[in-house]
Amino acid sequence: MAFTQLTSKMVRADVAPGQVVFSQRGAMLAYTGQVTFTPSITGGQGGLGSMLGRRIAHEAVPLMTVEGHGAVMFGHGGHHAHVVDLSGETLYVESDRLLAFEGSLEQGTMFMGSQGGVMGVIRGQVTGQGLFTTTLTGYGSVAVLAHGGVFELPVTPQAAVHVDPQAYVAHRGDLRNRLSTAVGWREMVGRGSGESFQLELSGSGTVYVQASEEKL
Amino acid sequence: MALFRLQGSRVLAVDLTDDAVKARNGSMVAYTGKMTFKRLTGGGEGLRGLVTRRVTGESMTVMEVKGFGTCFFAESAAEINLVRLDGEKLYVEASNLLCTEATLRTGTSFTGLRGASEGHGLFTTTVEGSGQAALTSAGPAVVLRVTPQTPLSVDPGAYVAHTGNLRQHFQSGVNWRTFAGEASGEAFQIRFEGDGLVYVQPSERVTVGGQI
Repeated sequence: MAFTQLTSKMVRADVAPGQVVFSQRGAMLAYTGQVTFTPSITGGQGGLGSMLGRRIAHEAVPLMTVEGHGAVMFGHGGHHAHVVDLSGETLYVESDRLLAFEGSLEQGTMFMGSQGGVMGVIRGQVTGQGLFTTTLTGYGSVAVLAHGGVFELPVTPQAAVHVDPQAYVAHRGDLRNRLSTAVGWREMVGRGSGESFQLELSGSGTVYVQASEEKL
Repeated sequence: MALFRLQGSRVLAVDLTDDAVKARNGSMVAYTGKMTFKRLTGGGEGLRGLVTRRVTGESMTVMEVKGFGTCFFAESAAEINLVRLDGEKLYVEASNLLCTEATLRTGTSFTGLRGASEGHGLFTTTVEGSGQAALTSAGPAVVLRVTPQTPLSVDPGAYVAHTGNLRQHFQSGVNWRTFAGEASGEAFQIRFEGDGLVYVQPSERVTVGGQI
């Protein structure tokens, strides 16, 4: 795969002619060889239509295209970076958590409200992630940012996983997500446990969780 | 019997089989299985505990986690340290205590001047009984042994916790230089004497003493 984990906070991407890597603008730390960095005006793949889609969905993050021949080191803000290798599946991730991804992956935006109707809409509001999320499909590597490192939790049809919305980073596979609430009289009188909203993921796949409840 | 294990160095995984643990409010990041979260009023030590905590300022909001499955806890990417207690007493700052087994009792104790210099107030939290507890520290904590021959001085801002039969007193190196504006930034230390273990983190909290 084209991405290698150098340290827990730095990722190396090997670039060869004909292979494009997209990365968050300004996330390059160092490079070797002949590499050019061009700001991607459309904010990733696709044409004008995709750009408009991302703008409307608020999933537009300033990206740049990395092309040439050599190796590029990426990192951002001292946050932990985690490499996810995709082989045909789809990764769902918030656009501001994307550090870099290979051009061989197909980028898209998805309306999360469609997963679970009204609750889906509330989920977006509660988690502060909005109603849309970025999807990456195909074969290639993705580098994802997280505060304090991520750990993977497998989800099987028998065992659903509940995640704190603030600690959720990304998920992949065939997962349904649902916001489960445990709001009782204690929350109403300000005596809550601080765990009243949880993201319930069921199906089969993997969910990535960070060791912190802070946003990036 | 709750089983504590580390998932990486910053995430605590607790396996529960219909038993309970006490954890800091809102520190759950994920769980599998079936769990319920209930806030314990006043740190879960009854009315007397509630009043003491209010009075001493060592307040912590604690929730009781109960159920079947695995629950994952983390706090702002802080490192987790596991401590097993067999009847001894652990002294820890309330802000560094993440999770304890339900069999452990928590309380408050008077620390005197040390607390004031740490900016934590005059009291600290104690954990007593048999079972496991998880502490957080900014960066991986080192455990330093104190013997009667080798007393230990610690920066109040880097102190996390201690166990064993230790006497602590506060020492200051304030002299004319401090007032002349030529301070070294190490004007106050806590000195531990006796026999026990001290947990020290590789980072310093903002303390009153640290400014001098």
